[in-house]
Amino acid sequence: MKLRVLTSTMRVQMKQSFARPMYRFCLLANPILNTIVLYGMYRASGESNFMTYVILGAGLMGLWGCICFSSAGDINRERYSGTLALIFATPAGFQSIVLGKILGNTVLSLLTLVISLTAGVLLFGITPVLEDPVYFLIALAALILSFVVISSVIACILTLSRKTELYMNCIEIPLELLCGFVFPVSLLPSGVRAVSYALSPTYAVELLRMSILGVTDRTLFFEKLAILMGLTVLYALFSILLYRRIDCRVRIAATLEVA
Amino acid sequence: MDNIMINVEDLRREYRRNSIFKRKRRVVKAVDGISFKVMKGEIFGLLGQNGAGKTTTIKMLTTLLAPTSGKCEVLGLKTFGEEKKIRPHINFIFGGEMGVYRRLSARDNLRYFSNLYLIPKKEQNEKIDRILKLVDLYDRADDPAETYSKGMIQRLQIARGLINDPDIIFMDEPTVGLDPVGARMLRDIIRELKKAGKTVLLTTHNLSEVEELCDRIVIINKGRVVAQGTPDEIRGSGETLEDAYVELVKGVNS
Repeated sequence: MKLRVLTSTMRVQMKQSFARPMYRFCLLANPILNTIVLYGMYRASGESNFMTYVILGAGLMGLWGCICFSSAGDINRERYSGTLALIFATPAGFQSIVLGKILGNTVLSLLTLVISLTAGVLLFGITPVLEDPVYFLIALAALILSFVVISSVIACILTLSRKTELYMNCIEIPLELLCGFVFPVSLLPSGVRAVSYALSPTYAVELLRMSILGVTDRTLFFEKLAILMGLTVLYALFSILLYRRIDCRVRIAATLEVA
Repeated sequence: MDNIMINVEDLRREYRRNSIFKRKRRVVKAVDGISFKVMKGEIFGLLGQNGAGKTTTIKMLTTLLAPTSGKCEVLGLKTFGEEKKIRPHINFIFGGEMGVYRRLSARDNLRYFSNLYLIPKKEQNEKIDRILKLVDLYDRADDPAETYSKGMIQRLQIARGLINDPDIIFMDEPTVGLDPVGARMLRDIIRELKKAGKTVLLTTHNLSEVEELCDRIVIINKGRVVAQGTPDEIRGSGETLEDAYVELVKGVNS
């Protein structure tokens, strides 16, 4: 039964999201624009490996943007359309519904990676390089899991507040910078780097880069994967606790609806 | 006692509003110690002026809002703390054009809510078709809801509220936005629900609707009960329920 809640929510979410012009812009146009900007920056800096920073970076920025604006923004859209209270009070469980929404968005948003690759190849003649496809798939699965869990925590917190749009604008770019989507985290100041390595997507991005360039040190790959999984489990546990708490808080604070 | 579906005793709900300077907190008493009981199979009217506390009361009863204090029980269960056991057995319809997924068709809306109410897949198609016919949306069932008129959206809301065959249905001004034909259709649905042994708690400003439908009513004003009984009892020696209602509300306000 719960699986049907997840799959039907995913379907509804994909339909609803794709019907919104802003989402289509984020999904289709954003990765192309990101690719153009990043290509210009990296070409001028003398970098020749466009696959890891330009194509992957543009795709990840697009992916995170879609997830961030959709998974987080959907809570507000549901609130303002009067459906948040309706879904909250169904026997399906709010956490399962939010998870279904996030899965739907994430699956649909993976298209950004394909679009940035296509844009890089067609516009700039970048040669696609992928040294270790199996490791890439492992890293991609880890990235998706990490994004799903992070989105779940964010969506849960945003249920409490009506200022969702403000907050989701505040989290998009910082996460892209902190997690090294378009440059190595090692370029960041050491204090900031500590924050980066507390965030699971940082490891996922590094794993993806390693698999694109070729995994020369398997131990290092699996060490990073283990840390990523550990952080993801921690976030997931935090998310479960948070949902239990917020399930009560939203009803005390009366934030399910717009007054 | 087993027939008590809703039991409210000395129920209170306050909203705390922070001012710009956070030290000042304003407390608004939306519901201020109301009590009433609703029995199985009753159509119960909750009446009052705008801002009287009707919607807040319904939200507490439908598990969407926590009471500040007092007893708030549905089916003998606390609406805050035992809500998971209550939710499969209730549903609610709020008036207006909110509460539907406008980019989805009526059928897709109902199918989605069927899944959220964990209705077995094999029952869904038959149930959705029957409800769509009941609310007269069958012919437009596959068009996106954003192409519907206000009344059609309201009828879709009604359909959604019936999807889990609830034992208790809460209706907060359900005829708002409905044309006379739609409003009559809703009143017929409410009567059918009563015949089927369902309990209905209804808020409305339409007092002729109350006289026509409700077995008992409670009138609240500024969060407090000012009268309760059958429409005949409330009307008393007055000519109409509206006269009695206006007198009661004016009396409290003055």
